[in-house]
Amino acid sequence: MSMLRSSVVLRTLGAAALLGSLACRDTSGDSQLPVTPPTTQPPAPTKLAVSGRGTITSRYTAEVWVHGNYGYTSSWGTRTVGGVATPGNTVHIWDVRGASPVLVDSVTVPGATTVGDVQVSADGRLLVVPTELSPGSVVVYDLTNPTKPLQVSVFTSPKITRGVHTCEIQTINGRVTAFLSINSASGAPARLMIVDLGDPVQPREVFTLDIPTSFIHDVFVRDGLLFTAQWNNGLVIFDIGGGGRGGTLQAPVELGRVVTTGGKVHNIWWFHDPASGAKKYAFVGEEGPGSLFNSSAGDIHVVDVSSLSAPREVAFYSVAGAGTHNFSVDEAGGFLYAAYYNGGVQVLDVRGDLAGCTAAQKAGDGRCDLQLMGRAKSNGLLDQGLPVFVWGVQFTGGALFASDMVNGLWRLTPSSR
Amino acid sequence: MATAVYSNVNPGALRQRISEGYLTQPMVVAAARGMDGHVLALVTLNAEGATLDRGEINPGVYGEGYVDRRHPHTWLHEAMAGVRNRTGPVRWALFGGKGFVPYGSDDPMVRPFVKYPVNHHHAQILERALLTATLQWRSGSLEAARFNGDEPEGPSDWPDNARLFDSWAARATVTPRQGLELSASAAGVQSPEFARGDGLDQKKRAAAVRFAAPNGRLRYWLVEVASTREYSGARQAFSFASALAEAEGVVGNVTLAARVERTTRPEEERVRSFYRTIRPLLDFNILGRTRWTTLTASVSHRGWGRGPVVGRPFVEVGYHVPRATLRPTPLDPVEVFGANHIWSLSFGVRMQAGHMRSRFGRYGLDS
Repeated sequence: MSMLRSSVVLRTLGAAALLGSLACRDTSGDSQLPVTPPTTQPPAPTKLAVSGRGTITSRYTAEVWVHGNYGYTSSWGTRTVGGVATPGNTVHIWDVRGASPVLVDSVTVPGATTVGDVQVSADGRLLVVPTELSPGSVVVYDLTNPTKPLQVSVFTSPKITRGVHTCEIQTINGRVTAFLSINSASGAPARLMIVDLGDPVQPREVFTLDIPTSFIHDVFVRDGLLFTAQWNNGLVIFDIGGGGRGGTLQAPVELGRVVTTGGKVHNIWWFHDPASGAKKYAFVGEEGPGSLFNSSAGDIHVVDVSSLSAPREVAFYSVAGAGTHNFSVDEAGGFLYAAYYNGGVQVLDVRGDLAGCTAAQKAGDGRCDLQLMGRAKSNGLLDQGLPVFVWGVQFTGGALFASDMVNGLWRLTPSSR
Repeated sequence: MATAVYSNVNPGALRQRISEGYLTQPMVVAAARGMDGHVLALVTLNAEGATLDRGEINPGVYGEGYVDRRHPHTWLHEAMAGVRNRTGPVRWALFGGKGFVPYGSDDPMVRPFVKYPVNHHHAQILERALLTATLQWRSGSLEAARFNGDEPEGPSDWPDNARLFDSWAARATVTPRQGLELSASAAGVQSPEFARGDGLDQKKRAAAVRFAAPNGRLRYWLVEVASTREYSGARQAFSFASALAEAEGVVGNVTLAARVERTTRPEEERVRSFYRTIRPLLDFNILGRTRWTTLTASVSHRGWGRGPVVGRPFVEVGYHVPRATLRPTPLDPVEVFGANHIWSLSFGVRMQAGHMRSRFGRYGLDS
């Protein structure tokens, strides 16, 4: 009887191993994305030419910001090789005058594990770096020497200890102003904070808004309007002085909101088209679930903000198996550059009417599909023979830069008409 | 009951050998019966919040903000009460409170090994506020429950009031002969990792064949498969799967047990300690998927008693092979550990005073 039972056990273990090999095969169809079948063939996107690459393999590269002859890339997470971990606590400084970015120096933020965002003030005097994961802070550097940032202050507050996800700076009424998107924590909500950097040595909190029902990942500030990316709360627009509703930096007034299809609103760009003077569209990035460096998800959503009190989504752009991250727009040229993680850099022609499309170019819910409208102009970095995972892009000074988490900083030739 | 254990893992994360001792699974279990057994109350208190704050080293195990360490359970592990009765040939039960969801296989704490399998979060759902109904007819039973989807965020956490009963589970069990049990389970769990409720939802499936006998050399075996699929709305985002087989036999005063497991798990962004992951998550991305193949063997002695207290010494050895199944990935376990396989050794004493239930959950069923 015991031999019979032993035999049963052995067979069972064998069956379990077989089941295991079947159950654990990598055929799960992760991040399966629906593809809208084209009814008419839009022109194939062209390839963006790559000028060169500045390689970083010690850390994972995050955001990029280029000002003049120098660029700055932040770093994310922990890169572990052979059991040795290197935290994402460093801003790398690049000379971008040549075809390939050249690494000239770096700045390490003590105590940080991720410095996911980076930005230079419009006058080029300040470099601002938020730190993510506890303890959160905003580190301000003087860029009198752009290759040797000099730390002038660290803004900390019990209200941001949980980590600052992004920090956008804009010059408002002559003062550099920072908009902090703060992580949620267990029992503590996500939070928007506005900080006055008019005196960069002594940053000063001027406004805080708790967001108990969702995240906040990013903001976009222009013409006295504050566009906030509040995940499943959607795109929420505030008057901070330009909306005609009495809003100020100290007391923003909500003007309107829209939950774009799928929610997960991550980043925004309010497009001003100098060709037509139109300020009709805001582009919204959706960050869906993905497995980093392997897959990503999330569409670009086009929101008609003609009525700030009643914004509405009119169009979208989707790439099968890939999802969007941050944007940069060449407004004079009418091109939106989207960091698209494993989808490289995607370029959309955003000039003109994005809400006018034929029935065949519409999705089932009535939104225009920019892909079917032939708006997909170009893509980049998908032909480099190595995996890429593009976090950020910046179009500036007639050049295009893309920060690639895996490889470093790329320089590409922008699109033209 | 409680287990005093000393564990050695080589290598741990970042090539560091881990040698630690704990008091794990310190629990007090109580039951009260009334009205001829038709009314039943069950309470289990768990003090891991005091003894396992850093987590118990356990390669491959993950969940609730811990990785490669098992998280402590909540102080009030179980507090269920209900009624059970018979109507004609059908036995029925209705229970409510906080406890074990009718899904998957038995909790690892009542199985042969001290160290948990990787698939704990694929094959069990526990510490939820639930209402469960059970029907039992002849050799078959059907259990169904509604419960809160949110996982505990710490030992002192309670089920979120706003999430009560937003999730469901059902388990069908057939016992074709004494000791042999076949079960199949399904569950829909809303946003387990975001207490706020807007995270990824899970569809879980599990099937198991279990044998248990009070006598003879072969006392127990279990074969199970389980899967978890995560969804963002209607879109499947991720999937994870598990297969496990384990058995226990007795030779004289010695109990021998072996387990083989192959389970995939998500990799998540880790904080500075490298054994903890960010909670709450910052977005819905994962950093990869790892398949853990684990072989575990255990030898224990039937032990010695003094009054109501029994101590059973044990030694447990594990061999763990992690492999990234999605490439490229920012978190390859071979790079994290600096090795392509891991050994673990644990020894200690399982202590028990009084009567311990042989199974948990299955409220109202014979067990």
